[in-house]
Amino acid sequence: MSSSTSSDIVVRTKNLGKAYQLYARRNDWLKQVLFGWWKSFFKPFWVLRDIDLEVQRGESIGILGRNGCGKSTLLQVICGMTLPSHGELRVTGRIAPVLALGSTFDLELSGRENVMIGGAVLGLKRAEVLRKFSSISEFAGIGDYMDQPVKHYSMGMRTRLAFSICAHVEAEILVVDEALAVGDAAFQRKCLDWIDSFRKTGTLLFVSHSMAEVRRLCTRAIWIEEGRIREQGDPSTVIRNYHRALLVEKDDIHRFSASE
Amino acid sequence: MPSVNVVNGKQIVVENVGRSQRLVRFSAKPFVRMWHHQDLIAAILRREMSERFKGSVAGWVWAVVAPLLAIAVYTFAFTTNIKLPLSESAAGPRIGYALFIFSGIIVFNFWSEMAFRAPMLLHEYTHFIKQTIFPSDMLAVISTLRATAYTLISIVVMLLFQLAATHTLPWTVVLIPLVFIPFMAFLIGMSWFLCAIGAFTRDAGYLMINIVPLFMFATPVFYPQSMLPPPWGLVSYLNALTGYVEVMRDIVLLGKLPDWHVYVWTLFTSVFTFYFGYWFFDRYRNVIVDVI
Repeated sequence: MSSSTSSDIVVRTKNLGKAYQLYARRNDWLKQVLFGWWKSFFKPFWVLRDIDLEVQRGESIGILGRNGCGKSTLLQVICGMTLPSHGELRVTGRIAPVLALGSTFDLELSGRENVMIGGAVLGLKRAEVLRKFSSISEFAGIGDYMDQPVKHYSMGMRTRLAFSICAHVEAEILVVDEALAVGDAAFQRKCLDWIDSFRKTGTLLFVSHSMAEVRRLCTRAIWIEEGRIREQGDPSTVIRNYHRALLVEKDDIHRFSASE
Repeated sequence: MPSVNVVNGKQIVVENVGRSQRLVRFSAKPFVRMWHHQDLIAAILRREMSERFKGSVAGWVWAVVAPLLAIAVYTFAFTTNIKLPLSESAAGPRIGYALFIFSGIIVFNFWSEMAFRAPMLLHEYTHFIKQTIFPSDMLAVISTLRATAYTLISIVVMLLFQLAATHTLPWTVVLIPLVFIPFMAFLIGMSWFLCAIGAFTRDAGYLMINIVPLFMFATPVFYPQSMLPPPWGLVSYLNALTGYVEVMRDIVLLGKLPDWHVYVWTLFTSVFTFYFGYWFFDRYRNVIVDVI
């Protein structure tokens, strides 16, 4: 492997594309499975197209874009959860896909049990989770609620817990699809400090609708529109252009229709 | 060494190995993955176990009460003077027949629990599969382990009952793992196959709801396989459950070694189903994420 020449590039994509198969009728997928070798029964819906991206170690990248533009799919593809339909992808390093950890919480279980499961899902050994548990619960700062079912948590508490689990996964690449700086000002402060220290060793990729967060955390912003990279570079410039575009361009109702 | 390396929708695995080595790797893969994900398996298993009796005061007592009740009912049901197919048992015909049915039911229930659940298995964990890198193939293992726990309780209840009724247990009961472990492998393989299908369509679930009760009679639960007339005796082994029920009864109730033809056949169905299921699941693993 030519890792010596490009050791600092942790994610590299070339011409990356991802198409979902959109079926006109519900049962067409069956025909596709049976007769897919003969003809295709779906319209490809290209969620991502021609994504060329190089991410250096230690970068912190914020991904902007409107709903359904392909941001989350890009993260999913990079994490290796779903295979790209086209193009090349190469990821080096231990990747922690914390896409939206909060959404995997089991509401009936206590915070403690969810930490155990969440940690295991993120690839931590049971002993590691147990060792880090006090640190996790201290970071989340939800006190005695740790032993209450998550259904009694407020939204803020839930995200606090999710974030502190993420913060304790020793990953080289952290991929996050939810608000990072959450909760009240004090907790936000803590999150931001943590991210700053994380970036000394790791790479961060995250999706956000909060421009303030992107401006504060990112070394680079990527604006994705209709599955393509429309602009990337300095966060403040990209954010400014993105904002301008949002004001000028209307919310196109045909955005989610399959092309071709 | 890159952790993910994909070109044109195909995962690139750099390996220059021959056919035989690929076969060895494929055979080892499910076990390697189980070993690798053991902590995750344990964490989710723990949650699934506690889920079953959540909100109940008696909790695990129910897991013991259910088989106790069942065996009591069978015993009372066969106090009448009906002609029983199994009168040579040491426990006497009444209790003998109750144990006979109970042992069949244990195997059958184990299977039916898995068959009902497997098609919906991946749907239960959609969040995990879509939001995290989740080893979805381990779900079949976890659900089988969960069902195993209840089945083991039933087996213990049966053995205790048998001990109480006959004051002795055949030495062959120590062979139970030799049939139980292949049966677990069979069920894991079946779950892989069914849950992959179930991810695409809900029809698999509806199909199982209709089929499973029929299998209760297609499997020798209420009658011994030996009672079947000549052609059907052999045909009944096509239903893989028949073999397991027979072997189980031989070693637990009759205290004799099973017919080795039957035992080899159960081993074959077990290994075949396990690897076929895994192969099938692995093949569609990447598609499943997109369709579920």
